[in-house]
Parts: sequence; C-alpha cells; structure tokens
Amino acid sequence: MKNTRKVIMMIVIVCLVAPFALVAQGEAETGPVSFEFWTTETQSDRMATIQVLVDTYEILNPDVKINLVPVDENEMATQLQTASAAGNLPALIEIGAENAVAFGSDGLMDVVRNGELIDKIGEDEFYSGALRLVASESGDNYAVPFHGWIQGIWYRADWFEEAGLEPPTTWENIEKAAEYFYNPSENQYGILVGTKAEGFTEQCFTQFALSNGAQLFDKDGNLIFNSPEMKEAVEYYARLAQYNPPGPQTWRARDYYLQGKMAMFFYSTYIMDDLSLQEKAAGSLTGENFAELAGSDFDPDLVTHTQMVPLITNTDTAGFGVVVTLGVINQPDSAAADAAVDFARYLYTPNAYITFLHMAPGGMNPVLKGIASNERFQNDPQGIFKHYGAEKMAEINSGMNDIVTFSIVDGNRITAASTITTKQIIPQMLYKVTQEGMDVDAAMDWAESEMKKLID
Amino acid sequence: MEQSLSLRRSLSLEQKKARLGVQLVLPSVIVIGLLIIYPVAYNMYLSLFKVNLVGNNTFIGAKNYINIIADATFWQSVLTTFLYVVFSTFGTTLFGLVVALTMNKKFPLRAIVRSIIILPYVAPVIAVVYAWQFFFDPVNGIFIHVVVEMLGLYDQRFNLIGTPEYAIWVAIVFSIWKSFPFTYLMIIARLQTIDNNLYEAAEIDGCSSWKKFLHITLPELYFVLGTLILLRFVWNFNKFEEVYLLTENVKTLPIYTYFKAFTGVMDLGQGSALAVIQFVLLIGLIMVYVKKVLKW
Repeated sequence: MKNTRKVIMMIVIVCLVAPFALVAQGEAETGPVSFEFWTTETQSDRMATIQVLVDTYEILNPDVKINLVPVDENEMATQLQTASAAGNLPALIEIGAENAVAFGSDGLMDVVRNGELIDKIGEDEFYSGALRLVASESGDNYAVPFHGWIQGIWYRADWFEEAGLEPPTTWENIEKAAEYFYNPSENQYGILVGTKAEGFTEQCFTQFALSNGAQLFDKDGNLIFNSPEMKEAVEYYARLAQYNPPGPQTWRARDYYLQGKMAMFFYSTYIMDDLSLQEKAAGSLTGENFAELAGSDFDPDLVTHTQMVPLITNTDTAGFGVVVTLGVINQPDSAAADAAVDFARYLYTPNAYITFLHMAPGGMNPVLKGIASNERFQNDPQGIFKHYGAEKMAEINSGMNDIVTFSIVDGNRITAASTITTKQIIPQMLYKVTQEGMDVDAAMDWAESEMKKLID
Repeated sequence: MEQSLSLRRSLSLEQKKARLGVQLVLPSVIVIGLLIIYPVAYNMYLSLFKVNLVGNNTFIGAKNYINIIADATFWQSVLTTFLYVVFSTFGTTLFGLVVALTMNKKFPLRAIVRSIIILPYVAPVIAVVYAWQFFFDPVNGIFIHVVVEMLGLYDQRFNLIGTPEYAIWVAIVFSIWKSFPFTYLMIIARLQTIDNNLYEAAEIDGCSSWKKFLHITLPELYFVLGTLILLRFVWNFNKFEEVYLLTENVKTLPIYTYFKAFTGVMDLGQGSALAVIQFVLLIGLIMVYVKKVLKW
C-alpha cells in the first residue's frame, strides 16, 4: 500500500515538474548567449575598468552575458589546457601575440572569426607591423592585435651628462656606461638585464641579438641559431650581466632604479607611471621601516632625469615590443563565438578602446592608427601624457609599427620561433651562461638541441 | 521480502560484521577510487600519448619515457630531489627532536616559548617566502646589510637565495625551519607518555644523561621518528610551492615536471610520464623504508 502511494506521488511530482523543465530547455535554445572572456589584466583596478566595459556592453546587448575571468599570463597555457579538456573553453582571450601564434598553430584559435573581426574593424585601421605579428604562414590571423608596449633602455640622463657619456644607443656606449656606473661597494649598479630563466630575459636579449643580425631561423624556416652573430650577442649579454645587481635578476629589480641605485635598466613603457607618480612608485621604494637604506623617498625629479632609448644599434638597429591580442577561441558553441566577435568589436570602438588603454597610459599603446592623435586619448586621467609630452608619446606609439621578433624573418612567419619563445629555451641558456658559469659554446649547443627537439 | 529476511537471519555474526565493514568502507573506496585511483590510472594512460590541445591524442608508446630518460636535466633533477629530500627530512627530524627534548624540560615562560615555536608551521607559505626574499635581498636585504656593511664578514654583496650553488641549501634550511614544529609536536607528545620510572631506575643504576637518551628515550621514540621521517620524506619529495616560490632555480622533480609540462605550449604527455616516474620512485622508496625501518 505504502509503495503504491510512493509511486503515485512520484508520478504527480514528475507531471508537475516536467512542463517547467521543457520550457526551460526551450528557452535555453533561443535564450541569452553567455561566454567567458579571459583577461590577463589581473590587477583589481584594471578588472574594475574592464567590468564597466562589460556591463555597458551587456546593457546595450541584453541577450549576451559575459563572464569576465582574470588569468595570470603565465598561467594562461595551463588554464586553457584544463578548460579544453573539460570542454569549457572561453570564447575570447587576451593573450600575447607570440602565445597566440603558438596556440594558433596547435589549432586553438578561430582564424575565421579573428579574420572576420579584423575585416569589421578595417584592416587598414591597424598598424601593419602589429598585424604582421599575428599572421599565420598562410596569411590567416591567429588573433587580433589589441594593444602593445615598446621596450627600451631607461637611463639616468643627468648621470650620463655629468660623466660625459653618450646616450646608450649602441653596444659600445651601453657597455661603457654600465662599467662606469657599476660600483657595488657603494651599492650602485650599472644596468639591469634579465638573467632569470623567464620571459623578461628573452625580451632584453632579443633586442641585442637582432641588433647584431642574429636570428633563430632563416626566411625558409631553417634553424640558424648557432651562428657567430648569435654567439657574439650571447657573449656581449653575459658581459653586460656582470654589471647587474648580484645574482639572477628579473624586471622586479627595476625598483633599484627608482631607489637611485642603478644607472640603466631595460623596461617596457609600463614604467612611465611609476617614474612620474608618487603613489605608483611607493611599492618600489625601500619604505620608512628601513631608514638606513637609501631609496626610501620618492624622487620627483627622476622623471625629468630619465630618458628612454627605444632602438639599439650594432651591425643593425633593432627595437623590441610586445603586441597583446584579443583572440576568439575555436569551439563548438558558434553562438558564443559570434557574440565574442561582436563584443570584441565593441572594445575597439573609440570610447571603449580609449577607456581600456587609459588603464596604463604609455604601457598600453593603441594598435589602431587613428587613436594616437585622438584628443581624448591624449588627455589621460593620470596626466602621464602631460608629464612626458605629446611628442614623446607619439614617438612611443609609432614604435608599434616597428616591432621585430624572431618569429618574422624577411616578412615570413616562422611559427617554430614562437614555440621556442613560449618554451623559454633562450632565457634558460642565458641563465646557464650568466649564473651557472657554463661555457657559451656548450650553452648554445644545449639550446640548439632543445630547439631541435621542439621542431622535430 | 521474506526471502531476504531469511537470508539475513542465515548470516553468521562474523559474516554480518564483515558485511557491515564492507558497507562502512565502501563510500571511502568510491571516493578514493574517483579522486585518486582514476586520475593516477588516467595519468599512466596519458603518458603513452602525444597530447594535442585540440583533436585526438596520438599514441606514441614509450617515447615520452625514452625522451625523459635520455635527458641529462632529468637526472640532475633526480639528484637535486634526493639531496633536498634527504637533508631536509633529516634536518627537520633532528631539529624537531632537539627542540622537543629542550621543551620537555621545565623552565620559565615555557608555555609562551612552546606557542611561538609553532609559528613557522602555521604561517602561510607565500607570506613567509616573501619575508625571506626581502630578508636576503642582495641590495636592500637586512641580512646582507648586517654581514657586509655592519660586521664586514664579506667584501661584497651577494645573492644568497638566487645563486645556484647556494639556492638548494637555502631551500633546505627553509624547509627545516618551516616544518620542524610539526616534528617537535609529534615527538613531545610521545616524550610525555614515557614512564618516568624508567629514568629513575636508570639513574639508580648510574646511567649518564646520554645513556638514558640512548637506551630509553630513543627506543621509545623509534616508531614515532620512523613515521615522521616517512611522512616528511613523502611530503618533501612532492613539495612544490616552497621550493618554487623561494628559489625558482632549484629544479627538484616536481618543478622539473612543471617546467616540462606547463611552460609555454604544454606537453602533457611528457608531464604525465614524469609524474608516473616520480610516483614509481616514491612508492619504491616507501616500500623499502617501511619494510626495513618500520618493520611492518
């Protein structure tokens, strides 16, 4: 009897719930589209700004729901793999161009929709140099350039002038100045070049290698890494590293410059606000708790005493920078992918784009030609443009067209070079030479064999 | 219904107990099966493939294993791992033992000292690692300031944590400092249960403090110490966050695996193979240890 009652109750419950379930399913087919947007701007203030852009877009497009997810750029590969295995990929990601190419060559990026997005914005609107960095061998686009930064040597122009030294534009000038200012007994150092086995080191080294005409591959894709030019660049880099602060160093050592303990350092244009704004510099100073240590106070004159050299010359002249891209991911949910294209298109509209770029004036430079001269763009809320002057900022922006990397040789895309970059073989080699004291030839042989493993 | 009742009645007490035992263990078996055995088995399966980001994986047999064994860096990382594990495990145990013996004596403010000793163990790793990095910073660190500027023990500043030849020893000292409170707690708990009559009898026989330690304390602590060494060995063999965050350039097996599998475009097949090798090495060592030392 009890069992019969139970069965009847079950039937009643199923009859009551089923219509709602069916309706809900029907709604899911035609209802709102939702997708994830992974950004590498993980800082809370930047997340807040991007969230405002997302909210604005959602108000304009009530059928689209965007879930903004911060992902550390070093974690992007791991997270993408995990999401791919779980069938839960984001529709849109913000990612460095070299990584976009490496992932794209593995079939992760939606080249059709990324091409479509470029067409919608207008191919001519982009700096061609930036577009070239995301192009595949067959001319497809693995991602869409979004913003970028330029690297250079930032140096104490007042110290150089006092010492009668030339600006650090050539190999000779750089080494001479690094040696001159290296005074470890006074806790003062000549230069900062990356020596840890990580991306910053490769960024510093690439500019030296390319300024000596050294490449990883020739234009036909043959590995030519182990060349006399490359060896010369490695040897020169190791000599410069002697004038670093002690031990393996990375970008974080730029703090020593802000404390007045270093003459030159490699850095991107992201440093501009730290140099000029006290509240930004605070995190780099030694602080009130260490009164005996020099460098606890903000130097308001540092910004005027600092100059930047974007190009380095030896046998060639080379600049270096990184383009950050937006990429639509290859995935089965075409509605989400289409919505991602539309949202990305919105991010390139002048107001949204400038709001995004103003999160880090100088650091995030536009890849669209028209934006640099836009009046609103030149009036950033932090006043960075005013500090450096419109002319300097225009020079930095125009550098977006001249970025060179190992992965483009004579206009040809060399995908394997991007994979080598993401595997950090070159910084590992430089670590071995500068920190473990490995012989340059042995370290280069090691790096070459690692590169061959990847290519095979 | 009646049939099942008669079946239940026909079970002996032993059988009923066994059945209850199975029922009690079953949920844990299912959870362990899902969360541990399945991932381990899947990992072994994956190690035989070239794992593609998109699309199907390619079966390559033992190639991942062959590549790893042929890689000199792998053997270096095995050596580094053993160096790190052996020194940090014995250091932690020895230091924990010394502190426990000291804390077992009565002295003023003992309760406060006992509480303070626990701090390194309970402090979050990331906070402590940053503190150490600031402490040993070559340009602004207080350690260098004291040994170079104030005491003049060294001519020039140096990077203690970053320099490859020192880094592993810093990691070992850090591990000992961070983990000894756990060892100390376990040992002192056992020390307090040792019958005081044993020590009194030894004293009557004229034993020195050293002999009392050697013939009473140490045998009483044997299995606690044995278990602590086993646990610390396993934990330190798999330790990632402390070593990676503090030094970055001490390539123990877990860190080597991380670089192989997750740097840049991921090589999950090779990463899986490395994890399997690490697993086999660890299980093998544990089995030897359990049989020879713990005599289970």
